[in-house]
Amino acid sequence: MTMTIEQEIEVLDQFPIGMRVLAVDDDQTCLRILQTLLHRCQYHVTTTNQAQTALEMLRENKNKFDLVISDVDMPDMDGFKLLELVGLEMDLPVIMLSAHSDPKYVMKGVKHGACDYLLKPVRIEELKNIWQHVVRKSKLKKNKSSVSNGTGNSDKANNNRKRKEQYEEEEEEERGNENDDPTAQKKPRVLWTHELHNKFLAAVDHLGVEKAVPKKILDLMNVDKLTRENVASHLQKFRVALKKVSDEANQQANRVAIDSHLMQMTSHKGVGGFYHHRAIPVGSGQFHGGATMMRHYPSNRNLGRVNSLAGGMFQPVSSSFPRNHNDGGNILQGLPLPPLEELQINKAYQSFNSQQNSLMVAPNNLLLLEGHPQSSSPSLNQGFSPHFEINNNKRLEHWSNTVLSTNMPQRNVHSKPDTLEWTTFCDSASPLVNPNLDTSSTSFCRNTDFGSSNAAQTDFFHPLQMNQQHASNWGPMTEAQLFRNCDSKEGLHMASDAGSLDDIVNSLMTQEQSPTDFSEGGWVMV
Amino acid sequence: MNTIVVGQLQRQFQDYIVSLYQQGYLDNQFTELRKLQDEGSPDFVAEVVSLFFDDCAKLINDMSTSLERPDHVDFKQVDSGVHQLKGSSSSVGARRVKSVCIAFKECCDVQNREGCLRCLQQVDYEYKMLKTKLQDLFNLEQQILQAGGTIPQVSMN
Repeated sequence: MTMTIEQEIEVLDQFPIGMRVLAVDDDQTCLRILQTLLHRCQYHVTTTNQAQTALEMLRENKNKFDLVISDVDMPDMDGFKLLELVGLEMDLPVIMLSAHSDPKYVMKGVKHGACDYLLKPVRIEELKNIWQHVVRKSKLKKNKSSVSNGTGNSDKANNNRKRKEQYEEEEEEERGNENDDPTAQKKPRVLWTHELHNKFLAAVDHLGVEKAVPKKILDLMNVDKLTRENVASHLQKFRVALKKVSDEANQQANRVAIDSHLMQMTSHKGVGGFYHHRAIPVGSGQFHGGATMMRHYPSNRNLGRVNSLAGGMFQPVSSSFPRNHNDGGNILQGLPLPPLEELQINKAYQSFNSQQNSLMVAPNNLLLLEGHPQSSSPSLNQGFSPHFEINNNKRLEHWSNTVLSTNMPQRNVHSKPDTLEWTTFCDSASPLVNPNLDTSSTSFCRNTDFGSSNAAQTDFFHPLQMNQQHASNWGPMTEAQLFRNCDSKEGLHMASDAGSLDDIVNSLMTQEQSPTDFSEGGWVMV
Repeated sequence: MNTIVVGQLQRQFQDYIVSLYQQGYLDNQFTELRKLQDEGSPDFVAEVVSLFFDDCAKLINDMSTSLERPDHVDFKQVDSGVHQLKGSSSSVGARRVKSVCIAFKECCDVQNREGCLRCLQQVDYEYKMLKTKLQDLFNLEQQILQAGGTIPQVSMN
């Protein structure tokens, strides 16, 4: 259709109306139908039945199109190949189309960078939403702290350097075209989305944390536009996080105290939250090895409450936490999370303040992917929750074992399959989730005297018999020590007075676990 | 306009198209295609099915060649052809053709030449049958239009 300039401009302003789509399918019947469907969605459509022609059109002027839809099985070029090339050279969103519903094809499409994978026959409803991919992609490009475009993976063996240059070149070009934030001009960074991080974790898990090297991880991940350097820096951060958590593990009891104290602040089911805290690190579900756990641990600390809020889900974040600890986000900062994620965590944090309900649905999609099985990092590890719930019926006795004995952020955890750790943890941790505990927690709620609610505490701790069963993973502190440590209110008070959780942790860390730190009976899960 | 005639034609049309659905020649996708037809593209459905039948003819021909020599069957080519046929038949709502394609693919997967030949024959039959039926349907449509009436929208639940 031909339009006047004015019309064109008008159309462009009405995005997604007028979105320019390039449709590729060697099947003329399907192509014709697709064309009509796209027209019906008010997109501007260009069609070709040859992948090669499509590439040429794109190369001629990549700014001519907003999105590419391509069939997978084409005689002149494999649709996946086209997908790769488009992603590599033009970085346009590509949607795959196929009559193959086999998940392995879908997987292949996703791995090659497809924004979406539609099955034939395509329905108009599906096409009505594809414009979102364009927005998403351009948003990623413009993102301050990271740039998602990059080089392709096609010749991994040889082209690391070349890729990087190309990446940076594209980055320059990108900036030329868009109003990018100057800060983005430094070093382009990859946006480690949940999906990406999960792939990373999967690769690391597969290789074993000790043996995971960037090159191998990169290969396993098989993600377009990801460079070895991206992986290397991510891995470095990851390792630092692991170590940190590992170190922190030695201060378990202290943390527990802090947590419980914090929990108190919120009149919420502290117990549940607390436990959730504990649990989170152990195993946000599919986090492979201990790695993820570790990383999440600190963040989870703050997230406990939300878990309870969202009922059933492990909503780590407590809405009250931020309330009482303005810099709750600081805790997260302790972790060397990728900057973007940190930002998001904090954002998510704030949101918790305001919304006490379903955390999962929270503002930041990236972080709080509800139900996303492998959501990594700061997210409120949904992966965790199922496990949690399953174990819900276990006795409290087990809880203590876990909490005490499971040295969550532990080095050797990394090398084990996460499920193992996870289950172990869950088994023990389940009691934490026990709703009964929650109610009793109100009596613990406290600000002033944690110690005074002795009775409650006693009740609370009552079921928690610290057996020595799961002592295996524990760090330096023995269970007995921990028990003793749950003695006094002092620690809690101190905790409450501390400004940020970080401060609390730090201060606690510096003092030995003195018997006076914790209330008698066990965790002060108040 | 002779309303009685138009009415009759419309009813005839309606009955006919419903029967096509009921006999499994067409499925919901065809309904969707009809919805896409409007004043802007009044012959959309006819165009698309026409393309489809052309595709069928070509694909069947190619596959026939591949299956011709018993000692030298290019199953890969056949598989590719079946796959495409399945895709396009499902896109136009040619239900029976699609069903045959499914069986066809299975024969191909196990490299059963005999089975493939049978399926090929069947798919040839089905597409031609559908072609005839749809031709009749379009003729009815034309008659309605010529009699001054409008083509009824038939929705199948």
